[in-house]
Amino acid sequence: MKIALIRAAILVGALAAWEVVGRLANPLLYVPPTAAVPALGRLLALASYPDLLEHLWTTVREIVLAYGLAIAAGLACGFALGVNRLVGRAYGPILAALYAVPAVVWYPSLMLFFGLDAASKIAFGFLLGFFPITLAVLAGIRQVSPHLLTVARAFGADGLTAFRKVTLPAMLFTLVGGLRTGLALTVVGVIVGEILGSRSGMGALINHAYGLFRTADYVALVVVTLVLVVGTDAVASIVEQRAQRWSES
Amino acid sequence: MSELIRVEGVTKRYASSSGPIDALREVSLSVGAGEFCTIIGPSGCGKSTLLGMLGGLVAPDAGRVVVDGRPVDAPDPRRVATVFQDPGLFPWRTTLDNVAFGLELQGVPTARRRQTARDLLGPLGLRDFAEKYPRELSGGMRQRVAIGRALAIDTPIVLMDEPFGALDEQTRVLMGEWLLDIWRRTRKTVVFVTHSLHEALALSTRVVVMTARPGRIKNVLELPMPYPRAMESAELVALRAKLWADIRDESLRAMSGM
Repeated sequence: MKIALIRAAILVGALAAWEVVGRLANPLLYVPPTAAVPALGRLLALASYPDLLEHLWTTVREIVLAYGLAIAAGLACGFALGVNRLVGRAYGPILAALYAVPAVVWYPSLMLFFGLDAASKIAFGFLLGFFPITLAVLAGIRQVSPHLLTVARAFGADGLTAFRKVTLPAMLFTLVGGLRTGLALTVVGVIVGEILGSRSGMGALINHAYGLFRTADYVALVVVTLVLVVGTDAVASIVEQRAQRWSES
Repeated sequence: MSELIRVEGVTKRYASSSGPIDALREVSLSVGAGEFCTIIGPSGCGKSTLLGMLGGLVAPDAGRVVVDGRPVDAPDPRRVATVFQDPGLFPWRTTLDNVAFGLELQGVPTARRRQTARDLLGPLGLRDFAEKYPRELSGGMRQRVAIGRALAIDTPIVLMDEPFGALDEQTRVLMGEWLLDIWRRTRKTVVFVTHSLHEALALSTRVVVMTARPGRIKNVLELPMPYPRAMESAELVALRAKLWADIRDESLRAMSGM
């Protein structure tokens, strides 16, 4: 309750400060809330961008595809490297080093490979989501207590059974954390990809509004995108809490 | 008493920076059905390695272990259950599901294995803790869950590797009394590794004293006295002095070797 109050106070304070600063400085550049809210209304009424829903759908579709690919490849790669110690020790550091490279440097080449349409956005979202998932699988496998595996062996578990009954549940929390980070980064990848060069999707609209100096519309588009991002993260966070309750140690 | 476990000249060598080290050298031992056999010795004498061999978790470099007429080459949860010093409970499982773990691996249907586990909670003193997770239990309770997990698969042999080593002195004594009670009711064959003279004398029908590394058998004491034992009786006090003299020598050797 108290936390909710404090949060509300922060929000109101920020909006008020924004309003004051926006009006005192240049309202065209700083778009105070009193200008942003009507713009948001026009946007949601499909007045400023009549094809908003199509663009929104494009973005969602790109995120879903990129995330699906990132999960599939991340899990496959993570388990392949994690279960095989030698291969894991050979490739793990390379992966971690690649993860540390600001991924946006790859984007121009992705546009060259995949063109300006959805494919390059999906590829970029995939690239960003893939690493945290793979690394979470590796970290998860590494953190499984060898003693628990010995216990399972003593009670008759073969390799596959030990994996199912011990490794998987023991690493679940780390894995779900990685999946959540992967989702957040996939969303970032897709939207950044759209902003950097695209004809459709929320990023393309944002770029359009910004380019035409329609700053109030731009802010409204950002708000809609934010809701999309916060919404996916909220879903991910619920899943994570479930997993935590289940595997609590 | 019919022989249930036979250890035939087992040796275990480990690689170290200064060349190979013999943890165990040509150890032979026979344990009869229904015995409570305690292995005691200084740190690093290979007690746990020997127990690991009995459980099929450690392969000897020479010699072999025969359980119930069959040579051991892998864990056999139909005949041998193990309790480790670290209870090794699965943190995502409740008490009940931890106790039922071995039955689950053996493919016993859910309702039946949970019933078996539930029936054990009474004697384990965990009746009110069936749905608790390990982190909600005390150290002594956790070790009882681990013992329950071993008892649930109802093997003729239970191996215990310093099961009370991490507990405080009082809990340790009480857990020993509790274990004795369980053992006398189930008549299982127990091989028990400990550092504690008190545990060895209060619980065992036989005590095997091991030497400092390389581990060999130094002495075997038979303890035919009835239970519960009066630890201050002249007989046990004398045995304790003898046992301590043996172990003291070996512990000193182990310390100077370090």
